[in-house]
Amino acid sequence: MTDLTGAPGAALPAVDRRGLLARLRSDRFFLVGVVIVFLSLFLAAFGPLISPYDPLRSTGEISTPPPPIETWPRLLYETVSGQREAPPHWFGTDQSGLDVFSRVISAPRADMTIALGGALISLVIGTFLGLLAGFYRNWATEFMMRISDVLQSFPVFITAMILVALSGRQTGNLVLALALVYTPIFVRLTRAEVMAQSSRGYVQAALAVGNSRWTIAIKHVLPNSLVPSLVQMSVTVGFAIILTAGLSFVGAGVRPPTPEWGSMISIGAQQLILGEWWPSVFPGVAISLTVLGYAFVGHTIEAEFRET
Amino acid sequence: MIGRFVLRRLGIAVLQLLGVALAVFFLIRLLPADPVARLVGLNASEEAYAQAERTLGLDRPVVDQLLSFLGLSSDRGADGLADGSLGLSWVTGDPVFLEIGRFLPVTLELVTLALLISFLIAIPLGMASATRPGGIADRIAFVWGLFAGAQPDYWWGLLFVFLFFFILGIAPPPLGRIDPLLIEPSVITGFLTVDSLLQGRLDTFVSALHHLMLPILTQVFVVSGAITKMVRQNMIRALQSDYILYARCCGLSRRAVGRYALRAALTPAVTLVGIFYGVLLSAAVTVELVFSLGGIGEYAIRSILSFDYPAIQGVVLIVALVSLLIYLLLDIIHAYLDPRVKY
Repeated sequence: MTDLTGAPGAALPAVDRRGLLARLRSDRFFLVGVVIVFLSLFLAAFGPLISPYDPLRSTGEISTPPPPIETWPRLLYETVSGQREAPPHWFGTDQSGLDVFSRVISAPRADMTIALGGALISLVIGTFLGLLAGFYRNWATEFMMRISDVLQSFPVFITAMILVALSGRQTGNLVLALALVYTPIFVRLTRAEVMAQSSRGYVQAALAVGNSRWTIAIKHVLPNSLVPSLVQMSVTVGFAIILTAGLSFVGAGVRPPTPEWGSMISIGAQQLILGEWWPSVFPGVAISLTVLGYAFVGHTIEAEFRET
Repeated sequence: MIGRFVLRRLGIAVLQLLGVALAVFFLIRLLPADPVARLVGLNASEEAYAQAERTLGLDRPVVDQLLSFLGLSSDRGADGLADGSLGLSWVTGDPVFLEIGRFLPVTLELVTLALLISFLIAIPLGMASATRPGGIADRIAFVWGLFAGAQPDYWWGLLFVFLFFFILGIAPPPLGRIDPLLIEPSVITGFLTVDSLLQGRLDTFVSALHHLMLPILTQVFVVSGAITKMVRQNMIRALQSDYILYARCCGLSRRAVGRYALRAALTPAVTLVGIFYGVLLSAAVTVELVFSLGGIGEYAIRSILSFDYPAIQGVVLIVALVSLLIYLLLDIIHAYLDPRVKY
C-alpha cells in the first residue's frame, strides 16, 4: 500500500535528461495532484468564509435535490450577475435543510487540519526517534523499537477509535491519535535509512576529520535519510484523511454538526437507501479526489528521487 | 525440524500477544475516560456511582486489576486471560470470549472470500501487465492501482447499495446476513455459507451469498488494485532474474517463460496474503457497519463507544491473535514453497 512505484514501462526506464521543472510540467498526474493539494489547503483556510450558506444553519428547504447539470451554466451566470436573490443549492440540501455544497467546501478545515496535523507530528517525532534508534544502537533504542513493533501490530482503525473515543472527541485529541498511530512507520523508515547511510564513505570521512557523532547525525545523515519519509508523508496524509472521515463515519470522530466529510456521509447514509443520494455522494467525491491528489504528488516525488 | 520452527514462532507469538495485552490494558486506563459515569449516567447519586465502581472492580489498585485481567488473581471469579474467558462484558454481562466467538466468524467469512476473489483477479492482471509493460493491461492496472489503492471503502459500499439495490434492484437491502424470512441454519462453524452447505440448506446458502455480494464487491474493489501492483512488481523482478534470461536464450515461448516466472513470483505473494488479510480485517469495521452484518468490527465500535473495557481488550487481543496466526501459517507455507528458507 505504501509503495507507489510501477509506472507503465518501468521495466525499461528511459532516462529523461530534461530539467526538473520541464519534467514536472509535462507530468499530467503531478499537475492534477498539485492543483488538488492547493485547493484542499485553500479551502481549509478560506472554505467557511466563501461558502454561500452558513454550513451550520438550516436553510429551511429540506431534502432538495441538486439542480440538473444542464441548468448549471445558466444558474452560475444568474448568480454571478446578481439576478437571483439567493444562491442555488449546487449539491442540494440534506434532511435537516443544510446546504450540502457549503458544508463540502467548509469541511476541509476539520479534515485537513486533523490529517495534516497528525501526519506532520508523526513525521517529525518519527524521524527524530528513528535517527536516535539508527545512530545509537543500545538497549534503550532497542526497547523503543519493540514498543513500536507492538504499536504496529495493533489494528490501525480500532486503535485510533479507542484513542479518540476514550480521550474525548476534540480536534486536538484526533490529531494526537493519528500522530501516535502513524509514528512507528516513520521511526522504522528513518532508522533503516540511517543505518544504511551510516556505513557510507562520507560518514567515515566526516568522522576522520574530527566531527562529533551528533553533528554528523544532524548535519549529514539526517538530510540524506529524509527522502523515504517524505514520500511516505504524502501517502500518509491521504490515509489520514480517510481515517479521519472513517472515524467520524462510525461516530468516533468530529462531532456533528461541524462540517466534516465522514460525518456528512454517515448522516446521508440513512436516506441513500431511499434514493436521496446527494447528501453522501458529494462529500465522498471530495474525499476520493483529495486522497487521489496527494497520491499523485507522492508518486511523482518518489519517481524523481529514484532516478537520481 | 519444522516442528521446532513452529514451536519457536508460537513462543514469540505468545510473547507478542502478552505485549499487546499489557499495552491495551494500560492504554485504556491512561486515557481520561470515566466508564463508571458512562454506565450509571450523569445524574446518578454518589452511592450508585461508588456501587458501580465496586462492581466493575475499578476501585481496586491497578496492579490488582492487571492481575485479574491476566487471570492470575482468584478473588473475582471468571475474569481473565489465563482461563480464556477474557472477562465479562460490562454492558451485557456475558463472557467476552463467547460474544467474540459469535461475531468473529462473520468477519472472517467476508474477509476470506474477498481476499480469495481479489487474488483471482490480481494474479492474471498483474502477470499480464508485467509481461507486456506499457500494454493495455499494464495501463489499466496502473491507473486502477493508483485510484482504488486509497479510497474510502464505506463510501463505495454505499454507492454500490444505491446502484445495485435502489436503482437496479438486484441486491438485497443492506440489513443483515440473510433474508429475515428464512430460518438460519444451526451454528456449527459460524460461517453461514459453510453451515448451510453442511446441513444441505441450499436456500440459506444462496441467500447468504446474495447478502455477501455487495460487501465482498466493496472490499475487492478497494484492495485488488494494490494487490495487482505488488504481483506485477514481483513478476517483473522474477522476469529479470538470470534463470529467466536463460530460459529466453533457450528459445522458450513467451507463455512458457511466463509460467516459470509465475512460480517464482508466487512465493513472495504468500506474504502479500498476510499483509492484505490485516488490511481487510481493519477495513471490515466500516464495511460491516454499512451492511449491518454484525461482525467483529461492529462489536468493536459498540464496545469502544460504550467504554466496555473488557470487551475492548478482548477485541484488540483477538484481532492481534488472528493476524499473528495468519503470519505463522504463511511462514510455514513459505518454508514449504521455497526450499531455500531456513527454519
